[in-house]
Amino acid sequence: MISGARQGKLSGLRQLVASAMARDPGTFVVPGHDIAWAHGLDLEAAGLQQVASPRHASVLLVIGDIPPALREAAAVIYAQMMRPRIILALGSTDLSPLPAADIVAGISQQELANGVHTLRAALAKGAFHPDVSDFDAPVLQIRIEYTCSMHPEIIRDEPGSCPKCGMTLIQREAQATAAHEHTDHPKMKDDEHAGMDHSMQHETPVEYTCPMHPEVVQNEPGSCPKCGMDLEPREEQADAMHDHQHMDHDAAIEYTCPMHPEVVQNEPGSCPKCGMNLEPLAAHDKQDHAGMDHSNMDHSSMDHSSMDHSNMEGMAFMSMIDVTKDLPRSGDGLPMEWIEAPFGPFLPGLPGGLLLTLTLDGDTVAAASARSLTENTGLFKPAPIDSQSFIEQLSDMNPLAPVSYRLLACRALEDAAGIDVPIISAHARIGALERERITSHLGWLALFGQQTGFDWLTQRAAVLQRKTRHAGLKQISALKPALQSMIKRLLKAPLLKSRTVGIGKLTPDTVLYGPVARACGINNDARSTEKIFTTLGFKPARRDAGDVLARLHIRLDEIMHSISLIEAAGAISPPAPVTTGTLSGTGKAVIETPRGMAGLQLTLQDGQVATTQLHTPSTSHVALINPLLEQQALGDALTAVCSLDLSPWEIQP
Amino acid sequence: MTTALILLLLVLGAYLVAVIESWAHSGRFQLSAPLLAGIALLGRESIVPRKPDRIFYEVAPVLLLISAVLAATVIPLTPELIIADLATGALFINAALVYVLVALLMAGWGPNGAYAMIGGWRFLGQLIAYAMLIVMPITAVAMRAESLLTTQIVISQSGLWNILYQPIGFILFFVAAMALAFLPPFDLPNAKSELAGGVEAEYSGVRLAVFRLGRLALIITLASATVVFYLGGWQGPWLPPWAWSAIKILAVTATMLLAGRYMPRIREDNLLGWCWILGIPLALLNIFLVGVLVLVFP
Repeated sequence: MISGARQGKLSGLRQLVASAMARDPGTFVVPGHDIAWAHGLDLEAAGLQQVASPRHASVLLVIGDIPPALREAAAVIYAQMMRPRIILALGSTDLSPLPAADIVAGISQQELANGVHTLRAALAKGAFHPDVSDFDAPVLQIRIEYTCSMHPEIIRDEPGSCPKCGMTLIQREAQATAAHEHTDHPKMKDDEHAGMDHSMQHETPVEYTCPMHPEVVQNEPGSCPKCGMDLEPREEQADAMHDHQHMDHDAAIEYTCPMHPEVVQNEPGSCPKCGMNLEPLAAHDKQDHAGMDHSNMDHSSMDHSSMDHSNMEGMAFMSMIDVTKDLPRSGDGLPMEWIEAPFGPFLPGLPGGLLLTLTLDGDTVAAASARSLTENTGLFKPAPIDSQSFIEQLSDMNPLAPVSYRLLACRALEDAAGIDVPIISAHARIGALERERITSHLGWLALFGQQTGFDWLTQRAAVLQRKTRHAGLKQISALKPALQSMIKRLLKAPLLKSRTVGIGKLTPDTVLYGPVARACGINNDARSTEKIFTTLGFKPARRDAGDVLARLHIRLDEIMHSISLIEAAGAISPPAPVTTGTLSGTGKAVIETPRGMAGLQLTLQDGQVATTQLHTPSTSHVALINPLLEQQALGDALTAVCSLDLSPWEIQP
Repeated sequence: MTTALILLLLVLGAYLVAVIESWAHSGRFQLSAPLLAGIALLGRESIVPRKPDRIFYEVAPVLLLISAVLAATVIPLTPELIIADLATGALFINAALVYVLVALLMAGWGPNGAYAMIGGWRFLGQLIAYAMLIVMPITAVAMRAESLLTTQIVISQSGLWNILYQPIGFILFFVAAMALAFLPPFDLPNAKSELAGGVEAEYSGVRLAVFRLGRLALIITLASATVVFYLGGWQGPWLPPWAWSAIKILAVTATMLLAGRYMPRIREDNLLGWCWILGIPLALLNIFLVGVLVLVFP
């Protein structure tokens, strides 16, 4: 029996169905395909078909050890999968709150193939079982609470009557944890307004709002009807409904265009877009404040759209103008109900573990935020640790670039201990670093292909990545024609230009690293300051457009440059372990990882690493997401995020 | 009898489309895969999402299938093998396929989820792009045949197939048909990497099986329509008519399915822009040219 069996007896026809299921394992990959590729796994060859929606999956494939936040997200995914469902874990030790893995294997293609073989047998035998139990986890629990229909601030855990009016409390469900917000299948907020009591008393200057749901605003303390958290007081923000009381002294007058609400300036004049005269507007009356402050929109839109309110007089029945007048406006001026939806942490085409939360205005991004569910909070604990485990920890931190971080740790330790590296092994290290750059860029190409629905690119890049991963000097040179022909064919693909030109445009005045920086004409390549690279004939690549196409070009250029560097270096081998003995001192190192410059400072005490300070490129790049995505169409926004090549594993809290 | 035979052929066609599609996607040719996938889906749970619009949610997959089957009724596979040789056949195909939009909008709205809903909206935008480019090329085809009978349209191409007689119309119709079947690179409503499956994302089990069957039937119907309108239908030397229909339909299907593999997904604003700024003037030009040809060489 498998833990996710479907209820029923395995007999007759079901036996046939179960064996068909065993041959058709739709697989949802956790943390993501990028990790599978980085480990050199070919899921299709092992017989697993990837699916994008948990509803279409029957196999949950977990690769490697994943941090608790990601496991919780995976539990939500698992709960949405069709039964019979089965968990295949490669090299993972702890999966809670997920149930224990049905099949366990190591991280290698051979072990994966064996695992799939076992999985098929398990499905064919155990897909149906007479008594099955539901999967439950704290992250999934919906708490039932009781509230008064007249006094929403009254919330009890048990049934009873309202202390204010004596009415019987009614039952409703409250979400127990905030983590519920991170499911892949968000619930729309639109059905939640019914029954919410919005009394229109304006006397109290303090409003109460939920820290998780800013659209929940009420005049009395209580708990959030959506998640049950206690509401917090805040200064009332003057909105359209209240401004008759607050239109005074400190309200700066701003001027806006009646056609282009995004045009706002401090003095009268004409609109730079259409030339119309600007109209005065109280500063706090602006509609586009609503981008961050949903209290405006829900509070008032509800009053106009619900039919049973008394303030319907004088308003045309179901007039679109009246119905939509208080909805937030985006740049195009079209009012729509905004939806907040999570993208990730397991969306194909985005790095696994990156959770994007987009506020969507139709198909357009009104606001975006990003966070990593794989950020390594437990890194370098407990300090002090011996240098060898420090190297291993840093190298395991980012499965997308282990060699770069291993080299970074070694260099910083050598700097602290005052060890010189012979030129031959320095060259071999460059070979290993540049080979990782090629595999990392190929992995990005595969991800980019997945993001844009470009199947050929995904397959081609993944195949080449598998070949370069552990390739020796000769094999790298032998792969050169294959890489060149892939690049040539990719750049000729129809629709590629229209998909990438002008999308995700960054300007050189932002803090950027690595290929993202070099695509906007900034040369901050750590390699250009190292003498050993210049002697090998290194020249930094550069493009100026700063858009997705430029970043694609840079990475393609760098793949070919790295091959030349490897050929010039003449050897490939990752750094040997550093013995620090009982030395003390401070050291620092900078490495140009595939994603940009990473820096490490550490102090060594008696050969043990005491303190560390790490800087990684993705930590800075993740802050670019909101400005980059605003007012972009959804497809463009996701392409732009993909083009940054973030690694959620190296994002520092 | 004809009806049963055509429906059987439609299912067989849908099956072959599924084989070609998985081949185009994964590069592996597995003849048994769609059968196993279908049986497996029937045995899996069909989960209903929380708070769905139940009628829309249940009807959408069935409506998609019905729409494709309706359009298939006026497709002649041989001069006799046609369910209904309607006097308005060419127009009827277009009318039946409008329900594809309705089905996808219902599938988008029904599950009460963000991804599905955005997928539904996107297809509404897509309709605005492709709709004219289905009707206007059909107009030019009917002008040459001087009939809306689909059998008459095939016979009118006995001298020269429409793909050569009106190549502009063929290209426009082919692209619009791909957009109508939301095949890559026009898979905006069900993009995996943007909407985790979009309109399909919330369907599972037997409902998903019906949805997928509907989509496969839609693809085969559109390929058949392309063959009837532009590739001379059942006509061809040596082989019997049914064989020519089968060969041509499968070739068109394979082209439609493979094209998306070699390019990234189109951007929605480009799709709309190109269809209206470039496509519609070209379609008008096509009608004009065909009109001149019909007058000059009657």
